[in-house]
Amino acid sequence: MSNALAPIKLDDVRSGEQGELIQLVSFNLAQEEYGVDVLKVREIIRMPTITRVPNTPHYVEGVINLRGKVIPIINMRKRFCLAEAEYDKQTRIMVMDVGGELMGFIVDAVSEVIRISSSEIQPSPAVVSSGIDQECIAGVINQAERLLVLLELEKIFTQDERQLFSNL
Amino acid sequence: MPIDCEDQELLEGFLTETTELLEKLDDDLVALEKTPSDTDLLNQIFRSIHTVKGASSFLGFDLLVRVTHKTEDVLNRLRKGELLVTPEIMDVVLEATDLVKTLVADIKGGDIVDREIDETVNKLIPLLSEQAQQPPAEPAAEPTNVGAGIEPPAAAAPSASSEPTSAAGQPSAQPESPTPTSPLPPAVSAAPAVKKAAPPKPADNKGGDDLSDSSTVRVDVKRLDDLMNQVGELVLERNRMIQLNQDLQGGSSDHILFGEEFGKLTKRMNFVTSELQMQVLKMRMIPVEKVFKKFPRIVRSLSRDLGKEVDLQIFGEETELDRSVVDEIGDPLIHLIRNAMDHGLETPEERLAAGKPRTGTLVLAAVHEGNSIIISIKDDGRGIDTERVGRKAIEKGLISEEQLTAMSQREMFDLIFLPGFSTKDKASDLSGRGVGMDVVKTNIKKLNGLIEIKSEKGLGSEFILRLPLTLAIIQSLLVEVEGEVYSIPLSSVLETLRVDQRQFHVVGGQEVLKLRESVLPLIRLEQVFKVQRTAERDDFCYVVVIGAADKRVGLVVTRLVGQQEVAIKSLGNYLANIPGIAGSTILGDGRVTLIVDPVGMIDSGDTAAAGR
Repeated sequence: MSNALAPIKLDDVRSGEQGELIQLVSFNLAQEEYGVDVLKVREIIRMPTITRVPNTPHYVEGVINLRGKVIPIINMRKRFCLAEAEYDKQTRIMVMDVGGELMGFIVDAVSEVIRISSSEIQPSPAVVSSGIDQECIAGVINQAERLLVLLELEKIFTQDERQLFSNL
Repeated sequence: MPIDCEDQELLEGFLTETTELLEKLDDDLVALEKTPSDTDLLNQIFRSIHTVKGASSFLGFDLLVRVTHKTEDVLNRLRKGELLVTPEIMDVVLEATDLVKTLVADIKGGDIVDREIDETVNKLIPLLSEQAQQPPAEPAAEPTNVGAGIEPPAAAAPSASSEPTSAAGQPSAQPESPTPTSPLPPAVSAAPAVKKAAPPKPADNKGGDDLSDSSTVRVDVKRLDDLMNQVGELVLERNRMIQLNQDLQGGSSDHILFGEEFGKLTKRMNFVTSELQMQVLKMRMIPVEKVFKKFPRIVRSLSRDLGKEVDLQIFGEETELDRSVVDEIGDPLIHLIRNAMDHGLETPEERLAAGKPRTGTLVLAAVHEGNSIIISIKDDGRGIDTERVGRKAIEKGLISEEQLTAMSQREMFDLIFLPGFSTKDKASDLSGRGVGMDVVKTNIKKLNGLIEIKSEKGLGSEFILRLPLTLAIIQSLLVEVEGEVYSIPLSSVLETLRVDQRQFHVVGGQEVLKLRESVLPLIRLEQVFKVQRTAERDDFCYVVVIGAADKRVGLVVTRLVGQQEVAIKSLGNYLANIPGIAGSTILGDGRVTLIVDPVGMIDSGDTAAAGR
């Protein structure tokens, strides 16, 4: 078995013969495919009207009304310094639970929910594509045809940024 | 030791009860000192302390029983005329009340500390033996009081309640027995608690540090009934709505009829929901008395400490406001009162020399005005000496000489709010650290309130606080800034003007507008919020004059949209503390609109002014 070769980064994964079965929601961002833990995703919605919030980091697109609750929206392309793109019919907001609070993340498209065994998660190579921060990459999943980057969105805001947010 | 009480509900009832009684007790005791002959009041005090004693002995809080018991004995002697009300006796009784509060706070904290109570109790004992034939009071001595008359069962109850067996027999009746005339709350809350003793509810006994807890609310039954009625109506309207939809879908109603019916329904819904909103708001409202009743006690002890004679007059304590506001205004008011006592009022000698009555007057008044409450603290003392204030401010390096000469009288008054400002050369334990007024300003700003100072040298000063009634739902003014809609709390809006931009002047890089006699600094919202310009600049624009605490600025906007009642929604932790934004709200069409933070705006105006 290859699990000895793959130091597992997810905290909640127990070591086992096959590893634990986990479900991921996969989404696209600038031709790359990413995955996040399905349990963190609250819902996936189409683009509503976004209210701009002044004096925030450039990747904060604004806030939306999610059934009476106001939640902030982060543009993932901007956050990861990818080329900006027009919103189209595929554009979605993934509403996720990040550190106990709901936040929306704009992604190019959401494709499917996939099941993988935690043993399939490999450590991320030293240099990963484009500008995605190393900290929030929990690993990569290499299945026959596809390469999926596993993200941990809790870490999308570095400590400094969290500070910045609350001290702005 | 942890509290061993099998019935949490009973305990909670006791705590709510006792806290309320104690709060009132302070007030009553101070009132008693002024009118020693008021037997009704004395009886009321006696009943309160007696109720506390009865309930605590029932629940087995021995320390509490010992203190309350002795206090009760002293009060009983006062009641029978064996002792006369003197400030010295009141000092001791008040000290005992404080001890009772500490003990109750311990119980509330969930842990009984073995406190030293003998010191206070020993102070009470001489009052019992002094010029008296009866031995120092012990439970056994109680029955001799029976003859005392006004309330025969009064003496019977304490002895009964100290016996667990009889107390267990009719627990709820015991505390009630001495008060047949005025039904004190214990029976009301204790009785249901006893009945419900069987299902052990895991009640959380967190408890606050201070006695005034905000975790539970007592609501008038009438208000609950009203609320139920409103909800009933709302359900009816909902059914009507479902019916309308079914008719339309099923084809038994055409669009014209539907439109008509729907219009009616909308009106009724509007009516019911606004009523409902009012009812719920009312439930959150508590009389400002909750804060005010602490003050007679504070004023009394301050006046004794300072050697000043003060007549505190309180008006409008029944004025209601939101609990969130009530919780916040306590501290600022205490500071203002201290300030008036310490700096405002003179000593009796000084007053007589100035040709004023010996006793100073301090008036605390609350009144509703539209959607705000106005609280004023007025004294007839020496007033604010602007010259001295100005000099001190320069001495402390808070302002420069040139700044002072350019100041209006109002601006000079505002100097006292500067952190670090004090006219005292030495800090006493009462004042002089230059913190108090800063606290006042900060808290009032936090509540989106305004402070106004009126003062005349030699005649006295008045601090007027204007506060919003509630913090959850506010009236707001919707404005458009180059296509984006923002909402400004109406409580901070003083006026709106339509002006020609050519009337703006620039003073030291800051745009200003001459408004009547004053010069108003302007803030362009489009710049602060970095809004992209969509249209050509129009010559005419609107200026919304806002004020917070003691300052005023004008916000330049493109257009006024209208006035709307909005519910404040937080932006969450990640977007908290954005400069100039207080929160957000959702408009009728579902869009989110940001609420402008008037305080932040004014502060940013300050920094802009300071930076030039």
